[in-house]
Amino acid sequence: MNTKEQLWAPVIRAKDTIPQIMFDVVLALLPCWLAGIIFFGFPAFWIVLLSAVTAALVEALFMRYPWRPKGLIGDGSSLVTGLLVGLILPPTVPWWIPIVGSVLAITIGKLVFGGLGNNIFNPALVGRAILLLAFTAPMVKYVRPFDAVTEATPLLTMRSFDWALVWGNVSGSIGETSVVAILIGAVYLLFRRVIDWRIPVGYVATAFAVAYIWGLDPWVAVTAGGLLFAAVYMATDMVTSPVNPMGRLLFGCGCGVLTILLRKYTSFPEGVTFAILTMNALVPLLDMLTVPVIFGARRSREQRFAATIAVAVVICLAWGVLAVINQTVPEEVPVTAEGVYLPLMETLGTDAYETETINDKVYYFTGTREAPEKVALVGSEQGYHGPIYFYLVLDGSGKIEHIQILTHSDDPGLGSLVTRRSFLDQFIGLDTAELTMDVDIQGITGATISSRAVIRGVTNELERFQDAFYGSGAADAGAGYVDGVYVAEASGFGGPVKVEVSIDNGQIAAVMVLAHGETPGISDEALKVMPQRIAAANSTDVDLVSGATLTSKAIVAAVDKALAQAVPTEATGAAAEPGGMASNVPDGVYRGRGAGFNGDVVVDVTVAGGKITAIEVVEYADTPFYAQAAFAQLIPEIIEQQGLVDTRSGATFSSKGLLQAVEAALSGAAAPVGQGLASDLPDGVYRGKGAGFTGDVVVDVTVAGGKITAIEVVEHADTPFYAQAAFAKLIPEIIEQQGLVDTSSGATFSSKGLLEAVEAALTGKEAQ
Amino acid sequence: MLVKTFPRGGGHIPHRKDATQNKPVMVMPAPKQAIIPLSQHAGAPCQPIVKVGDQVKLGQKIGEAEKYISAPVHASVSGQVVEIGERTLLDGTKAMCVIIENDGLDEAEAAVQQDYTRLSSSQIAQLIKEAGIVGLGGAGFPTHVKVEPPKPIDTVLINGAECEPYLTCDHRLMIEQPHKLIEGLKILMQAVGASQGIIGVEVNKPDAIRVLEQACAEQSYIRVVGLKVKYPQGAEKQLIKAALGREVPSGGLPAEVGCIVQNVQTAIAVADAVVRGIGLYQRVITVAGAAVYDPRNVLVRIGTPIQEVIDFCGGMGNPAAIVAGGPMTGKLVQDLTAPVTKPLSGILVLAKDEISYELNHPCIRCARCIDHCPMGLQPNYLADWSNKGLYDQAQRNYIMDCIECGLCSFVCPAQRGLCRSIQAGKQAVRAGKTAI
Repeated sequence: MNTKEQLWAPVIRAKDTIPQIMFDVVLALLPCWLAGIIFFGFPAFWIVLLSAVTAALVEALFMRYPWRPKGLIGDGSSLVTGLLVGLILPPTVPWWIPIVGSVLAITIGKLVFGGLGNNIFNPALVGRAILLLAFTAPMVKYVRPFDAVTEATPLLTMRSFDWALVWGNVSGSIGETSVVAILIGAVYLLFRRVIDWRIPVGYVATAFAVAYIWGLDPWVAVTAGGLLFAAVYMATDMVTSPVNPMGRLLFGCGCGVLTILLRKYTSFPEGVTFAILTMNALVPLLDMLTVPVIFGARRSREQRFAATIAVAVVICLAWGVLAVINQTVPEEVPVTAEGVYLPLMETLGTDAYETETINDKVYYFTGTREAPEKVALVGSEQGYHGPIYFYLVLDGSGKIEHIQILTHSDDPGLGSLVTRRSFLDQFIGLDTAELTMDVDIQGITGATISSRAVIRGVTNELERFQDAFYGSGAADAGAGYVDGVYVAEASGFGGPVKVEVSIDNGQIAAVMVLAHGETPGISDEALKVMPQRIAAANSTDVDLVSGATLTSKAIVAAVDKALAQAVPTEATGAAAEPGGMASNVPDGVYRGRGAGFNGDVVVDVTVAGGKITAIEVVEYADTPFYAQAAFAQLIPEIIEQQGLVDTRSGATFSSKGLLQAVEAALSGAAAPVGQGLASDLPDGVYRGKGAGFTGDVVVDVTVAGGKITAIEVVEHADTPFYAQAAFAKLIPEIIEQQGLVDTSSGATFSSKGLLEAVEAALTGKEAQ
Repeated sequence: MLVKTFPRGGGHIPHRKDATQNKPVMVMPAPKQAIIPLSQHAGAPCQPIVKVGDQVKLGQKIGEAEKYISAPVHASVSGQVVEIGERTLLDGTKAMCVIIENDGLDEAEAAVQQDYTRLSSSQIAQLIKEAGIVGLGGAGFPTHVKVEPPKPIDTVLINGAECEPYLTCDHRLMIEQPHKLIEGLKILMQAVGASQGIIGVEVNKPDAIRVLEQACAEQSYIRVVGLKVKYPQGAEKQLIKAALGREVPSGGLPAEVGCIVQNVQTAIAVADAVVRGIGLYQRVITVAGAAVYDPRNVLVRIGTPIQEVIDFCGGMGNPAAIVAGGPMTGKLVQDLTAPVTKPLSGILVLAKDEISYELNHPCIRCARCIDHCPMGLQPNYLADWSNKGLYDQAQRNYIMDCIECGLCSFVCPAQRGLCRSIQAGKQAVRAGKTAI
């Protein structure tokens, strides 16, 4: 109809108009915004402001004249959308994200459908969905409140309820963390009758129930992440929710089920966005199915019968679907220890793990008992006030992949600092049997006893793990082989079988069949199992695979030949396969650095026999959730291919950083770590000379025990201001790395001179 | 007192009754010229039985109802018929009217007094028809039709809810003429053979409830029921649901659940007609609104031009709208020369800040219309289908059950004309613009 003012009965009207409703929603959103600003600081303020202003401006540009306040704000709906877009963003997003999000929300989410009242999907969620898919990394980069340290969303880290979730001082999107702030807004909206209780109550209650049924902590499910915020502010969006009371209740319930379903079974940690968008699409159907019975009409007996049948069918279908899901995805009984959920599936990478009790301790592992790929366990150690329980995931060789504190009874604020990732991440990658505080692991000031307890506990568990899986005998059974990769072949049933044997730490680390002419089907089992058995037993004295005896025997023979090459008396690397990235690199551990998403990725690359045998990430600053997954996938690939591989989507920056670091390590930019420049030199002081900017740089290098212990600049002619700063920075680095390092910018010539001089001194090999 | 209400939908709307609810009814002098439309009721118009130049007496029948659903009209002044011609009515439509020049004598016809207890149902119905009584609450449905229902009736309900804002005429009459009201109720009960009489009054009129309870204290079969203040408490089906707990079936009449509903003034008119033999030629209306200088309840002759009524109430200052009836369901007055008719319950002279325009912003699907609809309809969809001409769909979704209370338009934050669209849709369905 036309929009001209008309007077028609009723000539009086309620005071609530669209702008009034929108104003109420804006008002109700302010506590969430305020909580966001308190917890995440000024970025939270700017992000939301940017998104709100952008949304208002975009709609005004399309619909009205933006240069008057009334034209800019209009009915206020664009402001609400803009605020919502901002409040559901992480507080770390770059400035353009809220702008892009708001533009998408208003244009694609709303205006293309015909503006207010005509859009099918919640505009703010459309904006977020597109951002989430297009700019995944910044959209899931959450930080801890107050100190802005990167942290995964509590949906991934928290398995039990914590009051922090209620106050909101957890990582998350700006407006989504504080339950208290959301509830304040919800009470106001309910009081003002802007929202109907059926949607939020249906949503939260259903999510709670479903989470409970599926063995998640229901309180965490409803308080962590964006569920509550969405239930109050997003699902209740009038335009995109059903109009009939029963429809609204069903809509809420549907959102609840889908949210938990998506959280549990998809790769998105947060299911809210797509749950609500899906339900939005079902609104016309819900509207049609839930038409209320009018006054004075009754459903006939047939209709009631049909309705009962329909409800029964729906319930049966839902039950069936759930059953099918539970069958396809094997039912996961949540494993808990000390009442805390163990993220076994998340950390072991599969739910097909074995559970076995060895030496009175329960181990969860993948691979076989003899050759575990990953092992998870729960350990404990007496802390300051009581036992500290921790969860540990090791790789097959006993290297720590993951550690997390399950419970502790130490003081909040002090002892509880050991739960911080900054402390725990130091353990990642370590496998030393003896860990020493402040050498291997930096303890936490003020929580020394707790720190020490964790370190002691981890050390104990590492020992027990070695005993349990490899026993005392296995460790030195095959010792004596020279590390490296050896290739050999022996004739099998259908031709030569070519194998590659990797020796690590003097033991058979892996056996791989490179080529064979065996009959497919018959020999498959042998080709798969034999290498595993050999590697597990660290010997070729293993059972053969029946039915494929010839193939088995061929593999054994080939491995025997390969091992013959690895006998210490033979020259190292004699049979190493040429061609890899590291083929010309001498044995040693090389350190390299690459640029990740948040900061540098530092790796130690171990080269043995011209091959990369191990890559260890020493340091990185990216979101552990994404980065670790990328590393876990990439590193084996690099080792297998002996070269750079494709990056992993979803964590492109971390992947690139890793590859860059590996390349840097091997390209000779860095010197071997363990085996420094001076490793072959007798003790003494060596003098060397290099060309600086205005003259020579002369240094005295002191070598003691094969290591550079001191470097003294004897003479130089460069500008002292620049040169001295460069020397002061470079010399400790050279000593630390026992090799040549990157030059210091700003004094490139002086730095080069110094490095040249050090090199000259040590290559002169003549002590003074 | 137990306060009763209907369970579904409904809403609170402003009362704005303070200006007139404590003012006794004033009698307005007869107009110099009475314009008496021949169709003041639902149903067929009646035919004039006087000619130009005839002398008529006060209360003399001047239009005869020939069809069953129709009602005769009476002269509201004594004098000479000067014209029988078309005049504009309150809603802007034109209709045949008998125009009588008042001779100022108010010479009445000889009234026949009767004892109603000796009359049969059909005799009472005949007297009601002869007196030209129609529903005085606003619908104008001929009362004699209602008192000859097709089904047995056990209850007669008097509608004293008066839930529309501003209107207080029924309220005043309940206080001032409670005995006549109860007399009318008893006549109606006798006519339909009902065993109980109920007077439903919204509890915002405690004085009326008190007076009525005193007046009916001796009759155990008549009681006063307090109703919650909720719009539309005075709608027929909602009133029956509230007072009796009975739900009139969709498309059905109150008689199907054994009751009939009559307005307060109708019952009083019935008493006047049956007992005193007086035809319906005057009624009480409320003149209110911020733009009228002296708002009051006035007893006014049918046929008095609106302008004269307003002038009697002190005249008006700059009105933004003049509404015939209540603000929720009334009609905008197009022409101030239009006469007062039988169903007119009030004239509202409203100032700018009292009214709200229909702006027709886009529907934001807030569903307030659905939540508030007392009939459980989906006004947003019904209005939409009506606007688009999808009358079949509207009919399938019970558009004809809409009682046109206007609450959907009232609560709509987009200020859409939902009720108006639905009215148009109903008209189209009635006109047969559907395939069903």
